[in-house]
Amino acid sequence: MFVYTREAHPGENVPWHDSFGGKLACARLLRDEAGIRRDILVDDIAGTVHRGYGLMPNMTWVIDRGGRVVYKADWTSAANVEAFLVRFLAGRGRRPAGTAAVMYETQQIEFRHADRNRFTEHLLRNGPRAAAEFEKAQELWARRSAT
Amino acid sequence: MGEKDHEHAASYNYSRFDDYVAGGGDLADEAAFRESPPAGQRAGDFTLQRLDDGAQVTLSGLWRSKPLVMEFGSFT
Repeated sequence: MFVYTREAHPGENVPWHDSFGGKLACARLLRDEAGIRRDILVDDIAGTVHRGYGLMPNMTWVIDRGGRVVYKADWTSAANVEAFLVRFLAGRGRRPAGTAAVMYETQQIEFRHADRNRFTEHLLRNGPRAAAEFEKAQELWARRSAT
Repeated sequence: MGEKDHEHAASYNYSRFDDYVAGGGDLADEAAFRESPPAGQRAGDFTLQRLDDGAQVTLSGLWRSKPLVMEFGSFT
């Protein structure tokens, strides 16, 4: 399922949420324009669930039956999630003698498809100021990394 | 919603992304993720509204009998 949070790059067309009704309207836009067929659960206006799970804009968590966290990533990679689920479910199902559940962390660098024009088009769909604000944010990130 | 709740919601739902970055909001979010429950611990249980029918859905009901994949995101 999909947890609908706050808008990451609000603009004139897709505004920041100042009411739960407005948040529901943006969630419907996401469902209808992005064609999300999974259940969309809408967080409250204060982001209670988002805060509880770590506030990143596009993260994925997997919770095992019973409520134990078994996977968390601060950016969603469908391929990573799928590969994890295949291994995890196979391992949990068989549990051959001598195996134990262990936790470890991974950080990785990947080469993702980066179509800047398409991303800018998407920002412009949100509204012209969303694109302008992202440009300014990039300047801020560049200054940060230079210091 | 009280005045404090409104302030809380307004700071969460920022209106300008560049101002949010200038104020270190993105760095605070990264820190919040680092401090969130690690693998192996119990996940937080909450109730949310399902978009299609308005039903109140509790996360523990979804993970009761099978694993739950939760993707977070927004339109923008």
